Parts: sequence; structure tokens; C-alpha cells
Amino acid sequence: MKRKMLSLLLAAGFGLALANATHAQSTKPVINPPPTTKDWNNLAKLPDWSGVWNPKISDQDKQAKTNMPPWTPAANELIQYQLAEEKAGRPPPLFVNCLPESMPAWMLVTHNAMEVLFTPGRVTLLGESDGNRLRRIYTDGRPHPEDPDPTFHGHSIGKWEGDTLVVDTVGVVPQAYIAISEAAGVPNNGDMHIIERIHLVGKNELHDDLEIIAPNVLTKPWKTTRIYFRQRARQYDIVEGVCLEGSFAPGKDKRGNDIFVPVEYDVGGNLIPPQ
Amino acid sequence: MKLTTLTRLAAFFIALSASALALAHHATTMFDRDKVITITGVVKEVQWTNPHVGIFVTGTLKDGDTPALWIMEVSSPGNLTRAGGWTRNSIKAGDKVSVDFYPLRNGNKGGYLKKITLTDTGKFYTADIRAQESPNLEDREQK
Repeated sequence: MKRKMLSLLLAAGFGLALANATHAQSTKPVINPPPTTKDWNNLAKLPDWSGVWNPKISDQDKQAKTNMPPWTPAANELIQYQLAEEKAGRPPPLFVNCLPESMPAWMLVTHNAMEVLFTPGRVTLLGESDGNRLRRIYTDGRPHPEDPDPTFHGHSIGKWEGDTLVVDTVGVVPQAYIAISEAAGVPNNGDMHIIERIHLVGKNELHDDLEIIAPNVLTKPWKTTRIYFRQRARQYDIVEGVCLEGSFAPGKDKRGNDIFVPVEYDVGGNLIPPQ
Repeated sequence: MKLTTLTRLAAFFIALSASALALAHHATTMFDRDKVITITGVVKEVQWTNPHVGIFVTGTLKDGDTPALWIMEVSSPGNLTRAGGWTRNSIKAGDKVSVDFYPLRNGNKGGYLKKITLTDTGKFYTADIRAQESPNLEDREQK
């Protein structure tokens, strides 16, 4: 009897202590520690991903025909409609609004170069076009937030397995396309999870092996590999690429100042010749 | 007097702007890839901007035609640099050119540029973005 009471008391005490600890944790901010010399030195052990990487677009074209995602019937209906429209010379304007191509479409169908930066605890992917094409992949061991704010590129955590960066991404906005071309893609409609294994093949090819799990539009996980080529010549360095630039033209105000003047949008995104 | 000039300038540039249209990322099947046609003429304006470069050419399909304004669309500055060796100043307003292009399917005066040749020098630039598909592009020579 006495022992039972003791156990109960102990359990209650432990429970209180645990509650206190949890409480303390939730109020104490998590601090990202300043990188140490060792952290910087460890970057030198990573594979060399420097340079400019431009996509193998012909392989994207090929996979649009040979590696169709396992769409649900509803998603497939949309894709077939888009493909028919494209074939008829009316490509659906998926990306003409200048919002980010987002994940995973950036990796899947981009026509533009990117670069990769390593800093302690993080890998950063920067796209040439647009300025808003940017992925932060945390490699400091953190988990995903329990309820991440949805973003165009999602919340990404990565870990190195040898020379392969394994990236896990969740929290992508449901509107982000799973695209097979610039003219065919289906919004992921939420709950998407993306696993990538990014690694060099030979000296100058970077492969991104993607597995896309999107239960609202795919009947099973879809796997694909996307290929990038390395450029080192300085003439091919990444340039600024602001998508919305195309929506404005240089002009002058009445005082003679240089200004951007909005131009009318063509919903298809292409130039309308003068009539 | 000066104000009038400025006002005129402003009006000119705004008119110019109205002819320039948004070129966000888009697929290119509105152009007929099975046809290549050629115009010769003079460059009116080059918009070296993202996401797609635009080149305005006043030209004709054949001798004797009345010159008209055509719009040639190309890829992005970064892609043109890597795929075709372009720079911002490769093609300038006033240059005499011939342009091979894939025409718009709807018959309007425009297309997707395949090759542009400076008629005075014979120097030409191509715009096939798939030409970037190898590492170390600087090793290529102009074919």
C-alpha cells in the first residue's frame, strides 16, 4: 500500500516535471548557433558542386512522353486536355503569371540555370530566373516544423549520405504544379511530400533523383531523374532574371526620369505583333 | 520648348511601351515548328529582358513587299548567352538583318527566332536553348 502511494507520488512528480520541461521548451527560443571554424572546414569535405548548372531540357521533353506520373483519373483528364491544347498550338499558360515555378516544377521543367551554395548547416539553390527561385535546405539536423506555413518551395531538410544530398520537402502550397512541361501540369492539391537524392554523375553532371508523393493527384509515388550540366566559364555566370521585367518597358516620366511603364498582358504570355 | 520636347519624348516612349508585351515563361507551341520563314529588314528595337528577349524588326518576306513590323521572340538573356554566344549588344537597333523564324500559327507578324544574321558582316546568332546540353560550353565553336 505504502509502495503504491509512493509510486503514484513519484509518477505525479515526474509528470509535473515533464510538463514543466515541455513548457520551458515551448517558451525558450531555439537558437541557431554561430558556425565554428570546424563547421566551415567541414564544408571542404563536401563534393564540389560549384559552377553554373543548366538543365537537360531534351530529357525533360523525352520524359514528358516516356515517364508519365501515375495520375489519378481526374488529374489525367486535365493533363490530356492540356496536351491536346498544346498540340493544337494553344499551350496552357501555367507559368506566365511570374509566380515561382515552385516545387517540384522548378526541378522538373525549368529551362533556366541554377547554382548551389554550401554554408554551415545549409545548402541553398538559386535559380537564374526568377529572383524568387530560391530553395533553402537545412542540413543542421533540425526536423520539419510540426505545422509548417505553406510556401512555394516548401520546408526542406537535408542530410549527406556520402556524396549524395538527401532532401526531404513538405509544406508546399497546394497550388504548386507537378508539371511535365511548361504547358502541362496538375496542382498538387495538398499533402505533397518530395524526397530527392542529389548527386554528381561523372565530373560535370548533377542528377536530382526525385520521388514525389502526392496522394491527392497521384495513385502512387512517382520517380524521375532530372539532369543538369556544369559550366565554369565566367561568361556563363548566373545573371539576374526578374520575371516581371517582361511586364514593363523602359519609359520616361514627364520630368524626363527613367521609369518602368506597365505594358498590357497577353494571357498566353507571348508577344502580340502590331496589327 | 524644352518641356514640349520632353512631353513628346514621354509620349513616344509610352507609345513604344504599349507595343512591348509581357513575356512570362510559357511554352512555345503557338509557333509552328514545322515551318521556317525568313524576313530581311532593319532592327527597330531590342528588349534584352527576362524572362524572354524580344527583337522588333521592320522587314519584308520578299522584295517589293511593303515593310512591316515583326516581333521575334527568343529565350532569356542568360540562356542566349550560354546557348548562342549572344551578348546584350549582339543585335542593335539599326542593324540590317535577316531572320529565320518559326511563325506564329495565328498568322500574326511574329515568331520564335531560329537564327538572326547581320547582313553587313555575315555574323549570326542562333537561339536553340537545347544547345546548352553539355558541360564546358566555351569549348564549342560557332558552326
